[in-house]
Amino acid sequence: MKDLTVHFEGVSKRYPHFDLDSIDLELPTGSIMGFIGANGAGKSTTIRILMGLVHQDKGQVNVLGHSMPADQAAAKFDIGFVSEDMRLYGAATLRWHMEFVRSIYPLWDQLYAEKLLHRFDLKPQQKIKGLSHGQRVKAALLLALARRPRLLVLDEPTTGLDPVARHEVLGELMAVLADEERTILFSSHNTQDVEQISDQITFIDRGKILDSYDKETFLDRWRRLRLVLPESIALPHLPGVIDVGGSSRLPVLTTNRFEPAMLSVCQDLGATVQAVDSMTLEEIFVTSVQYRRETLAV
Amino acid sequence: MHSDLLISQSDGRPLYLQIMEQIKQRIAVGDWARGQEIPSIRQLAVSLQVSVITVKRAYLELEREGVIATQHGKGSIVASDPALSSRLYDEELAEHLDHVARLGELLGLSKNELASRLHEATVRFAERRTMKETL
Amino acid sequence: MNYSMIRRLILKDWYLQRWIIAASVLGGIVALGIVCLGGQAAFMVGLILLLTALIAVGAQLAIATMVNERKEQTLSFVMSLPISYADYTSAKILGTVLIFMVPWMLLVLGTLALFAVPHGIPHGLLPFTAIMAIEILVNTCLMIAVALVTESQGWTVAAIMVGNIAINLVGYYVAHLPGIAKGMGGSSVMWSSTASTALLIEFATIAALLCLTFFFQSRKRDFL
Repeated sequence: MKDLTVHFEGVSKRYPHFDLDSIDLELPTGSIMGFIGANGAGKSTTIRILMGLVHQDKGQVNVLGHSMPADQAAAKFDIGFVSEDMRLYGAATLRWHMEFVRSIYPLWDQLYAEKLLHRFDLKPQQKIKGLSHGQRVKAALLLALARRPRLLVLDEPTTGLDPVARHEVLGELMAVLADEERTILFSSHNTQDVEQISDQITFIDRGKILDSYDKETFLDRWRRLRLVLPESIALPHLPGVIDVGGSSRLPVLTTNRFEPAMLSVCQDLGATVQAVDSMTLEEIFVTSVQYRRETLAV
Repeated sequence: MHSDLLISQSDGRPLYLQIMEQIKQRIAVGDWARGQEIPSIRQLAVSLQVSVITVKRAYLELEREGVIATQHGKGSIVASDPALSSRLYDEELAEHLDHVARLGELLGLSKNELASRLHEATVRFAERRTMKETL
Repeated sequence: MNYSMIRRLILKDWYLQRWIIAASVLGGIVALGIVCLGGQAAFMVGLILLLTALIAVGAQLAIATMVNERKEQTLSFVMSLPISYADYTSAKILGTVLIFMVPWMLLVLGTLALFAVPHGIPHGLLPFTAIMAIEILVNTCLMIAVALVTESQGWTVAAIMVGNIAINLVGYYVAHLPGIAKGMGGSSVMWSSTASTALLIEFATIAALLCLTFFFQSRKRDFL
């Protein structure tokens, strides 16, 4: 059996204008999951349920062996959580926050905290209200990282950060994973961040999980085929092809179940395969959201 | 931890291919000697800021090609295959030739025309080399 | 219940509100000083100032420690700590009441001191003073309850206004109760059953308010 740090089974939550619909999610220990969705897709609600801050109507949530939300106090002892809308106390200094968090977590690593202060270019004696957005995010991240949690849960950690700060943050996340007992879940609408550092990728849209795989499988299954079709031959519907673009002579097929046999099928039809392009995660995400919305609309 | 490898976001190829290629080059030019221990998957992932699973895939493919050998629980080493570097170049050549064939087709060149263009290129290269040597 | 976490959360609020507490104690001492000047006018002005200082600090605590925790989005930071929502509720109720009781206790003791000094406040006023001191506590508990349950600035401000009016009405009503009014001007304490009943009702109200707060909090399912 896989060692799972986070396990959702059929988790649902009903709101007046939004439903989270039977979410299944598995996050193996030692890996990093990128959780991708548009604004309002249900990323934050899912993460709040994971943290026990919102109670699900249905389904089981298990985090680090604790059942949520009942065991949240024990579970949160091992979780570092930072969300984009989280604020620290404006009137207090970063040093005060560090001392406060340190008094709670016995695993707090002061040496690492000082190192992060330096790396993130933060001044501990500065009051939080004087910090820029990027500095606030980094301060919150420092407080979460230095307690050395077994699970890091980050809701949009890179949103609104400048490129340098983003790079620093991603670098620290990767450094966490040097220890294979530790696990990260982070949500983002920036697919580039997710594509680079994630092992697992989960797409969510309108409260439903669209896809959840390891990244290499994900990227391998999606291809764009550029064909040249002789005149008078119409392209039949091919299994696994979810979108046909381009012109009738120069069609571009998008598939989410690519395999080499597909090429010979095209060639047997008389088409020349001009190119087989791999797709970026962003292209894959946009295409699968559109495809899902179209099939739902029909 | 510094691995000297550099991956590029704007390079269209998948990350694992970029990692494979750079490791092969490292080995081909002798930076990484035969039998030498190479960074662990996690170490390389952290230093490249690339996901563990991507590096793992690159290592698996390299292992399948016989470029590296992974000892269970011990990490990976460069394989002690003597034909390694020539084979690496051979693969690269095949890749470039495929590319040449595709471009030739796009330009509408015949097989003979393509062959003579290749011949011209080898002549040009040899000339340039002698020029450099006399300098 | 996670007592060490509750204690830390209370100390955190104490630290963040320390200047407000200091300011209210200072204001209260000035008010008591004015009472010491002697004379009917100084007595009235001092009393009003004292009441204002205590009501203000109670209102400020309710807004700052509960409404603002959500409004300024520090709630998600607090809830990321190893606590349950019941721990959070306990820390808030217990903490705010205890923190409020620091200036309250100091100023009540100061007032009692004025009874003790020669030519101070006539002793007959003692029962009325006790009832009003506890009424201020009731008022603060009302603000805490509304602030924590609604987490809304609007409702809390409404509760502050209701509490403020209630203090005046209770003061007027109690002062005119036969069991209280009779002894008020005298130089010795007349402890009537009316006074005891009034105190009892006040304590019962405090208990009911706090229990209701716990009840409503335990029914919440979404905290962020």
